[in-house]
Amino acid sequence: MKIKEKVLSVLLGMAMVATLLSGCGAKTEEAAPAAEVATEEAAPAEEAPAEEAAPAEEAAPAEEAAATDALPGGGSNIMYIITPSHSNPFFGTEATAAKAMAEGLGYEVKVLSHDDDATKQMEHFEAAIADKAAAIVCDNAGADATIEAVKKARDAGIPTFLIDREINEEGVAISQIVANNYQGAKAVAELWVEAMGEEGKYVELLGKESDTNAGVRSSAFHEVIDQYPDLEMVAQQSANWEQTEAFDKMGTILQSNPDIKGVICGNDTMAMGAQAAIEAAGLKDVQIIGVDGSDDVRDKIKEGKILSTALQQCATIARMAVQQADDYLKTGTTGLDEKQLVDCIAITKDNADKLNAFDYTE
Amino acid sequence: MEKSKRVNNNEIIMTLLKGRTLIILAILVILFSVITKNFFTINTGLTVAKHVALYGIMGIGMTYVLITGGIDLSVGAVAGLAGMVAGGLINEGLVLPMFGVSLYFSAPMVFLITALVGIAFGWLNGAIITKLNVVPFIATLGTMNIARGLSNLRSGGATFSNIVGKEALGNMGFDALGKNLFGIPVGVVLLVVIAIIAGIILKYTSFGWHILAIGGNERAAKLSGIKVNRDKTLVYMFSGLCSSIVGMIAAAQLVASHPATGEGWEMNAISAAVLGGTSMAGGIGTAGGTIIGAFIIGVINDGMTMYGVSEFWQKVIKGIVVILAVVIDQFQRNLQAKMALQARNENK
Repeated sequence: MKIKEKVLSVLLGMAMVATLLSGCGAKTEEAAPAAEVATEEAAPAEEAPAEEAAPAEEAAPAEEAAATDALPGGGSNIMYIITPSHSNPFFGTEATAAKAMAEGLGYEVKVLSHDDDATKQMEHFEAAIADKAAAIVCDNAGADATIEAVKKARDAGIPTFLIDREINEEGVAISQIVANNYQGAKAVAELWVEAMGEEGKYVELLGKESDTNAGVRSSAFHEVIDQYPDLEMVAQQSANWEQTEAFDKMGTILQSNPDIKGVICGNDTMAMGAQAAIEAAGLKDVQIIGVDGSDDVRDKIKEGKILSTALQQCATIARMAVQQADDYLKTGTTGLDEKQLVDCIAITKDNADKLNAFDYTE
Repeated sequence: MEKSKRVNNNEIIMTLLKGRTLIILAILVILFSVITKNFFTINTGLTVAKHVALYGIMGIGMTYVLITGGIDLSVGAVAGLAGMVAGGLINEGLVLPMFGVSLYFSAPMVFLITALVGIAFGWLNGAIITKLNVVPFIATLGTMNIARGLSNLRSGGATFSNIVGKEALGNMGFDALGKNLFGIPVGVVLLVVIAIIAGIILKYTSFGWHILAIGGNERAAKLSGIKVNRDKTLVYMFSGLCSSIVGMIAAAQLVASHPATGEGWEMNAISAAVLGGTSMAGGIGTAGGTIIGAFIIGVINDGMTMYGVSEFWQKVIKGIVVILAVVIDQFQRNLQAKMALQARNENK
């Protein structure tokens, strides 16, 4: 019995070694599928196959004299789209829009989520590099913690296009396309001031204080609102972007300030929480605004329970990134600045119907 | 005649079961090689190994803890804290306000200090469990939150970026932990070294036998003169050390340390250990098995990533694999017991 066991385990060990060895052998086979991809791709993109056939230095200068430094892509026709978890529909929409666009342009698409874990994001980037990705579109997991991953892709010749969130370094990614939070928050604040009649007590719910967007949105709100001396802020608290926390905080604030006329919220989930608390307290005609453009808030806007929200056009941004990736791979340049701001749209009762899953259609 | 044939069959099944983790790993490798282009290459292999190093090292520490019949939920948070301690020491130094100076340490010193922080957390776990008689699940749940809170406090929730040190301060070189050594990621080298040491300790030293005995039957171990409390504490200290090393590797790879690093990693470590045949009830487990378990997780993760499986399905599949591993494990144990019984009956 003992001997049999040994023999079998040796056999298994040999099988493992054999698979490992055949791994080395597979390298030569690898060339064949790559060539196939090259011919497949010949139709949609004229320049790409040349780079594919000769992934080394020769291809780029020969094809693109104008952009000698352009990253050629990893060699395959695969576009990686990496976002935070799709359990938040914002990121789901982002990924879906990017995917549809990329597939329309003839790319194979792999959609991944990093769950806001920078290490996991790095693993995804490394997998993309191993997979010889053509380009990476990423809504990143941290302004500092993402830099190294983007650099790695760059070193492997893969261009990265960042959406929705920036990183703290320029010249690493090809594009950084983000929503103009400042303009968006100002736009809804102006609507709100008008609806308030330029007077009354109000409450502000802030986002997570470590998040730059929380600060940007709040200062944009106040740049508009603070011009009107009759608008009085009676409470300002952080609800950490969260609905339940906003509901609880709002409930507490209402205990001491039952006469408020308005609430300004750093995002839509907090606006939903605040609205629920106000409804539970039986208050009417309280003007609430948020930022994001979620479907939940859109429905409340239609019901007249929330005044307005600033839509961050994440679907548009995602499509822009894919388009720029395609341009870049084909011509060696996007023809645009690295940092790009996309204006938000103020959603009100008048245009709420055009909004669906963070996608605004004219 | 007929009987001996059945015994034979049992023996074959048994042997297959014992090698099951390797078989599962081989099947997964073959599967992903077939369905995913670019999976079966040296580069992908190294990438997978590099990712596995993180769960693997953590998993080895966890294996020791599970063998004693305990559990360590604080590993992910300790890894996060280690990253913050190391990143802070490099970027800001050790600030001593009473003397008005900041002390900067060289990279090896940073490594040592951070490792000591990990060990200290392990000691805290051990002390709470053995001295204060708190069950391991609760004790480490508490220290998990403490470590997570501390790592956020270290920077006020912010990230330490670009932790490469400054030449003028002589603390360059920490990011080497995240780079390659002769083409092999440093994390993988550390995984191999730690696995070999852990394996030898478990198999060939009295300390190893003692912790196996503690997991098998703590009371019996105590009665036979094993210093149960001391050994248990040492085991948690080892787990803390492993976690801090993982935290440092993760920070070095990103060249940044973020206080949320390591959230949920304890589950990867437990999964790796369990997939590798470690019993949650204690008394059974090997370092080699855990590494194979970690590789199974790594191959599934990276294989599904490269195949393009959606994140939600990835979670479902990982969950199924872990449950299946435990079910097969129990099946093996039942079979083992049956065979032992048969053998005894035949001898009569």
